[in-house]
Amino acid sequence: MDNDRPAGLVRVISAFLVAALFALPLVWALATSLKPPGEYVSASAALLPREFTLMHYEALADSRVWRLALNSLAVTLGTTALALAAALPAAYALARFDFPHRLDALFLAFVLLVKLTPPIVLAVPLYQVLRTLGLLDTLAGLVLVNQIYAMPFALWMLLGFVRDVPFVYEEAAAIDGAGLARRIVQIVIPILGPGLVATGVLVAIAAWNEFLFAFLFLQSPANFTLPTYVATRINEDETLWGQLSAIGVLASLPILALIGFVHRALSRGFAGGLN
Amino acid sequence: MRAQNRPWLLLVLLAPAAALFVLLTMYPLARVFLLSFAASDHGFEGARFVGLENYAELLQGRSFRRAAWNTAFFALVATVAEVLVGLGLALLLDRAFAFRRALTLVVLAPYVLSTIVVAAIWRAWFHYDVGFLNNALRAVGLDGVPWLFDPNIALLSIALADVWQNAPFCFLILYAGLRSIPPELYEAARIDGAGAWRRFRDITVPLLTPYLFVAALMRTLDSFKLFDKVYAMTGGGPGNATETLSMHVHRLAFRFFDIGLASAAAVAMILVAGTLGAAYAVQLLRSEAR
Repeated sequence: MDNDRPAGLVRVISAFLVAALFALPLVWALATSLKPPGEYVSASAALLPREFTLMHYEALADSRVWRLALNSLAVTLGTTALALAAALPAAYALARFDFPHRLDALFLAFVLLVKLTPPIVLAVPLYQVLRTLGLLDTLAGLVLVNQIYAMPFALWMLLGFVRDVPFVYEEAAAIDGAGLARRIVQIVIPILGPGLVATGVLVAIAAWNEFLFAFLFLQSPANFTLPTYVATRINEDETLWGQLSAIGVLASLPILALIGFVHRALSRGFAGGLN
Repeated sequence: MRAQNRPWLLLVLLAPAAALFVLLTMYPLARVFLLSFAASDHGFEGARFVGLENYAELLQGRSFRRAAWNTAFFALVATVAEVLVGLGLALLLDRAFAFRRALTLVVLAPYVLSTIVVAAIWRAWFHYDVGFLNNALRAVGLDGVPWLFDPNIALLSIALADVWQNAPFCFLILYAGLRSIPPELYEAARIDGAGAWRRFRDITVPLLTPYLFVAALMRTLDSFKLFDKVYAMTGGGPGNATETLSMHVHRLAFRFFDIGLASAAAVAMILVAGTLGAAYAVQLLRSEAR
């Protein structure tokens, strides 16, 4: 509303205080990962470490967490690649071909259906699907089931971006004899670049953070992703917070590094109407 | 391009997405629906048709009703709190000042974190003896709160962690909504002598309503699925005070291997979520038609 009017002093101070409040749990986690155990298992409410230690990170270096981080990375990249590969042609088709008007409503219903379906509802039949395909307890299986949410989300994002690509370039190329595949690769994808990256980043973050399917379908500890590992560690020892915080910080740094990007991508999405 | 209507090409382009959707969503939904009318003695194998028996058993079970109540309570409390906190944040940051974008990113940070990491942090904060929150309370002379041990408080504690993680999402939607309101409206209202409250009530609220609606819809549907936080923070306890429908279906299917009963509970979840979604969709279409 009054977005460009200057803020008063009270408002600026309140904004800083509220932001500090939101940052507090993260600051706590970072500080705890740098404290010796005696400092955080105590009655002290002091936030900052009195004595810095890297012991929790050193312990991580010797553990199998790195293997699991690679699992998470593989699932993230696989999920993102598959979601974009399946969603882009579909988005192109939906944006470029003549459809009856009903289809828009149908597409909205499809997005809503996926959005409202709780993952646990699909879990039982999916367990059988993965077992039949021989993909139970494999990262490939997790990449596949992640598509339940990743693919429709990518399709919904990309549809908006493809509609923004002017058709005249393609028309010119078509006159010069370029086929559909060539036009998509040489014209649509380059113009789509930023939108494709924005979509990919949001899909990747969701895949990196995903817990339920990883927890249900990956059984051998060597196949765990970071969230499943953190979940098992939470229950092992109630106050292993230094270790836990160190893993949490490591698992969060890659996505926090992208936060400016996420902010822009989401803001643009919300500003451009609410579909 | 509209001259491009070659059906086979269309099919080729849509095939991968359609195949994933059918295999991973439509087939499982149909299958869970069928399984909800079946009973089996050994997990996934040897199902036989039992009609509505599973549904009858489900509705008589206290644990299902408790899970349904917990889920509804959580969805309501968390959604309302998240939309209100998001609205507060959006109004607060809706003025120009130095570091505004930096503060926006700080507030947004919890939203991008893994829910399991969020749960790990808050579980530590909620620790009765040496958790940060109780340490802070005792430091100012108050008593510690049994955040996760008291059956009357535990679900609210989980909601608190949820608000921290998801209010920023509402904030982003509502902030975009505020920016979509033409400043001239406020200018004109000011010239006409409307005070801050009048301007908020008669301009901001009506024009923000569709955005409030979408934020509430998204949060309702999401909190209805609540699983990760409960699993990692309380495991459903104490007793079944924080057991949600997702936890309940999980327990029935993957602990008790009662696939029929679990499927019936899953179908019940879909029906409720579908009703919620449809109700919101109708409201949304109505407010857009106006």
